[in-house]
Amino acid sequence: MASDPALIRNFSIIAHIDHGKSTLADRLMEFTGAVTQRESREQLLDKLDIERERGITIKAQHVRLQYKANDGLTYQMNIIDTPGHVDFTYEVSRSLSACEGALLIVDTTQGVEAQTLANVYLAIENNLEIIPILNKVDLPSSDVEGTRQQVEDLVGLDGAGAIAASGKSGIGIADIFEAVVKRIPAPKNEENKPLRALLFDSWYDSYRGAVVMVRVVEGRIRKGDKIYFMATQREYEVVEIGVFTPFARALDELGPGEVGFVAANVKSVHDTKIGDTITDARRRATGPLAGFKEVKPMVFAGIFPTDSSDYPQLRDALDKLRLNDASFQFEPDTSEALGFGFRCGFLGLLHMEIIQERLEREYGLDLITTAPSVVYKVNLRHGDPVLVENPSRLPDPGRIESIEEPFLKVTIHTPTHALGAIMQLCQDRRGEQIGMQYAGTERVIMTYEMPLNEVVFDFFDRLKGASRGYASMDYELIGYRKGNLVKVDLMVNGEPVDALSVIIDREKCQKRGRDLAQKLKELIPRQQYDIAIQAAIGGKVIARESLAALRKNVTAKCYGGDISRKRKLLEKQKEGKKRMKSVGSVDIPQEAFLAILKIT
Amino acid sequence: MTATPLAVYVHVPWCLQRCPYCDFDTDAVAVRDIPHEAYAIGVQNELRFRAPSLSEHTLQTVFFGGGTPSLWSVNALASVLRSIEATFGAFASEITVECNPTSLDADRALALRDIGVTRVSIGVQSLQVPHLRYLGRLHDAESARRAVHSAAQIAGLRVTADLMFGMPSQTAEELLSDARTLLDLGVGHFSAYALTVEPRTRFGELARKGRLPRLADDAVALLFEALEAQCAPWGLEHYEVSNYALEGQQGQHNEAYWRGADYLGLGVGAVGCYAREMTEKKQSVRYKTVYDIARYIADGQAAKMPQEEPEPLDAETLVREGLMLGLRTALGVNLADLQARTGLDPRAGRERAIARAVKRDNLEDLTTHLRIPRAKWLTADDIIAGLF
Repeated sequence: MASDPALIRNFSIIAHIDHGKSTLADRLMEFTGAVTQRESREQLLDKLDIERERGITIKAQHVRLQYKANDGLTYQMNIIDTPGHVDFTYEVSRSLSACEGALLIVDTTQGVEAQTLANVYLAIENNLEIIPILNKVDLPSSDVEGTRQQVEDLVGLDGAGAIAASGKSGIGIADIFEAVVKRIPAPKNEENKPLRALLFDSWYDSYRGAVVMVRVVEGRIRKGDKIYFMATQREYEVVEIGVFTPFARALDELGPGEVGFVAANVKSVHDTKIGDTITDARRRATGPLAGFKEVKPMVFAGIFPTDSSDYPQLRDALDKLRLNDASFQFEPDTSEALGFGFRCGFLGLLHMEIIQERLEREYGLDLITTAPSVVYKVNLRHGDPVLVENPSRLPDPGRIESIEEPFLKVTIHTPTHALGAIMQLCQDRRGEQIGMQYAGTERVIMTYEMPLNEVVFDFFDRLKGASRGYASMDYELIGYRKGNLVKVDLMVNGEPVDALSVIIDREKCQKRGRDLAQKLKELIPRQQYDIAIQAAIGGKVIARESLAALRKNVTAKCYGGDISRKRKLLEKQKEGKKRMKSVGSVDIPQEAFLAILKIT
Repeated sequence: MTATPLAVYVHVPWCLQRCPYCDFDTDAVAVRDIPHEAYAIGVQNELRFRAPSLSEHTLQTVFFGGGTPSLWSVNALASVLRSIEATFGAFASEITVECNPTSLDADRALALRDIGVTRVSIGVQSLQVPHLRYLGRLHDAESARRAVHSAAQIAGLRVTADLMFGMPSQTAEELLSDARTLLDLGVGHFSAYALTVEPRTRFGELARKGRLPRLADDAVALLFEALEAQCAPWGLEHYEVSNYALEGQQGQHNEAYWRGADYLGLGVGAVGCYAREMTEKKQSVRYKTVYDIARYIADGQAAKMPQEEPEPLDAETLVREGLMLGLRTALGVNLADLQARTGLDPRAGRERAIARAVKRDNLEDLTTHLRIPRAKWLTADDIIAGLF
C-alpha cells in the first residue's frame, strides 16, 4: 500500500562543498533509528571512494525515513540528496523538482557561498519551501547571528526561521524534523490521474541493468506495470520497485508523492535520461512533466594510453564507467602523436578529473590526457557549419569564414579583498562584467560573460588562487558567439604534436605561443640529444625554444652495499618514464600535454 | 662443491663530526666516548649469528667502512678481523680500512698494516681549501697530503683515495691537479664521486630552501670528461663510473658488489646480502641492521641477534640489480653469469629496450656482455632505467 500523501515530506539538502551536508544526513538517519551510529560508518550517502575523499557527492542518492512527529503521526520522509558541484547543475535541478522543500545548510564558520546561492535559486525556481539550517554551531569560530543575517541579506530568506544545528554533535536534529513536517508542504494527492513520474537519477546494477530513481507526481506505479519513457520513447515492464531505508527494501507500488527506485530491465543508463517522464504504457499521460533537457558534454579531451598496448583495457574501462554515467561520452580517436585513444566528453572539468582519476586508480591505467577543449562552431566559406571539439581537427584556415565559441554567464562570489585580483583575472580571460552587487560590506557577487574556452583553461584554480581559496563560482551556458580565434600548433624536433594544438584568442596568440613553448621546455625532461620546441600558426613559427641534451644523469655512489636504495631510485625513474609518451624519439610527460593550463 | 666467494663489510658508526653531504648511518662523537671494545663484542656477536648461513662461503675481502673506521682502536679492529678469519677459516686477500686524513698518520698506518690490513682508503675529497671548506671537512690540504704520503710509504699497504667533484666554482684544472698530486704521492687507485645532494642531509635541507650553491650539471659533466681524458696519458684505467686504477690496483671488494657476489654486512646500520633459508626455499635476502648503537651494543653483551630489516629479493629484482651494477663497469654485465645467478634470461622482456638503446649508441651488445660505452657513462642512470 502506498502512503497517504498528507503524511509524506520530500526534501533535499542544499549545501556548499564541506558545509557538512553528508554528516547532517547521517544524523537525520540515526535520529529516526534507520541506521545505528556504527552502520552509518561515515557519510552513508556518499558511496564512491572518490566522493568520500573529495568530500563531495557526485551522484545523487536517496533515503526514506520514518519519523514520529510531535503531533503523534508518523511521516514518510524522503531525503533526496543532490550532487554538489557546478558541473552537475542540471542533475541538481531535476533532483530538486522531485521535492516540495529543501534544507539549506550554511556553515556558520564560513558563511554563504556562491554555489549555495546557485542551488538556492534553482530551489526557488522549483517553488520549494526552503528551511535554512545554520550548521556547525558548536565550533568556536561559528558566527550564528552573522550567518543568520547573511541568509536574510544574501539569500532573501527569513533568518528568524533558520535552525541552529550541528551535524557533528547532533544539535537541532529534532527541530529540523519538526520544521520539515510543519513547513514543507505535503505532495498533492493526484491518485486518479494517469501515471507521471519524474526520473531524477539512475545507475547501473549488474543484476538489474539500469535502475532509475523516480518521484511519482501523479498516479501509481506497480510491479508488473508496463511503463513508457516519454523522452526516449521506450516501453519496459516494471520488475522491481523499492526504497532505500537506507538499505534497499522491495515494495509493491509507489503512489503519488512517493520516491523510490524502479528496475525495468533497462539495458543502459544511456536509455535513462535525467528529467524524463515515466508514464503508464497503456494509459499514457497527455504530456511530460516540465523541465526536461538533453544533457550535453561541454568539455572535451583526448584520453590515450601511455602504453599503446593498453588500448583494449582503456576501452573496457571507459565502457564500464559509461555504464554508470549517462553524461559521459567517448568515441575512438587517433592522434598522430599519441596513437589510438578516445575523445571524451564531460559535463565540466571536475567531471573530467574524476573520470581520469577513476581510470587510473580503479583500472590501473597510465594515461595521457590532452588539454580540455570546448565545442567550436566553425562556419565555412562553402558548405554547412561544422562542430569541432578537437583543435587538431580544425579545418584549414582558408576554408574558415568564422569561428563561434560557447559563452558562459559566470557568477563569482568573493570577499572584497580579492575583488581587484579577480576582476583582473576575468579581464585577462576575455570576461565582460555585466553585474556587480555588494552583499553586506565584505562580500561581492560579480557576474561576467566569458568564453567557456577561457574557463576550461584552469580558470577555477586561478580564481581560488586569486582569492586565497575564498571565492566560489557557478556558471551556465548562454550560447555561441563569434570569436577571433586561431589555432596554435606545437612542434617538437620539427614534428607537429597534434595533441598539443590549442585554439586561442588571436590577440593573445603571440604571447601564449611563446609561453607555451617555454613551459614545454620546462616540462619536457632533458634527453639524450638536443630538442627543438616551436609554436606555429598555420606554418608560421611564432616561438622557438631549444632544450639541450641531457648531460649528466648518473648517481655518484653505490656504496656500502646499500644497493636496494639505488635500485629503487632507478625504478622510480623508470616509473616516471612509463608515464611519458614517446613522440618521434622524444619522451613527453603527461604534464606537458596540459601545459596550456599552466601558463597565464 | 664450488665455494661461493664472500665479501665482508664491517660498519664503524662514528665520525668526529657529520659532513653536510653525507647520509650514511653515523654518529658524531668525541674520541674518548667511543666504546671500542664493546662495539667489537657486538660485531663478533652478530657474526656468530650469521655465520651458520655462510658455511659454504670462502672469504675473499673485508672492508671496514663508516663512519670513520680509523677512529676505532686498532686492537678492537684486529679482534674483529681475527674473528672473521677464524669463522671462515681463511685469510682475506684484500682487507681495506677507510681512514680520514685527521685520524691517519704513519704510526696508525703501520699499526694497521701490522694487523693484516692490506689497503687504506683515505677520504681526501679535495686538495683545494675552498672546496674542503664547502664540504665541511675538518682537514686541510696539507694534512691530507701528509696522510696519503705516510700511508703510501709503507710497504705492503696499498692506498686508495676518495675525491669529490662538482663543488661550486670547481675547475677541471683543480680536479686534475688533485688527481695528479695523489698519484705522485703514491696512490695507485682513487674514486672520484660527483657530489650528490641527499635529501636527509644538511645539504639537502639547504638545497630545498634554494640556499645551496651548486655547480650546474653541464659543468659537472665537463669535470668528469676532463678526468676521463687524462686516464690514458696517466696510465689509469677508468674501470667503473666512479673508480680509477693504475694497472693491477683495482679494488676487489667493490667488484664483489658489482658482480652480484654475496656479502656479509656486520655492525650497526650495515647492509648485507646472501642466500638464506626462507619459508620454502633458499632465497637472496638483503638486510640492514637497525641503526641504534646503544641497542646493538646491549645485544652484543646479551648475546642476542641484533634487529634487522630484511628484504627478500626475487629473481627479477636480482636481474635489475645485476644490470644496474654491471653496466657501470668498463667490462659491462656478463649475461651468462647473471642468468646462472638468477635463473632468468636478462634479455627476456627487454629485447625492444636493448635494441633501442643500441640504436642510440647508448649500449653495446657484445652477445655475452652488455656494456655502456664510456662516452655515455654520464647518462648511465637514464640508460639503465630504460632497461628496468
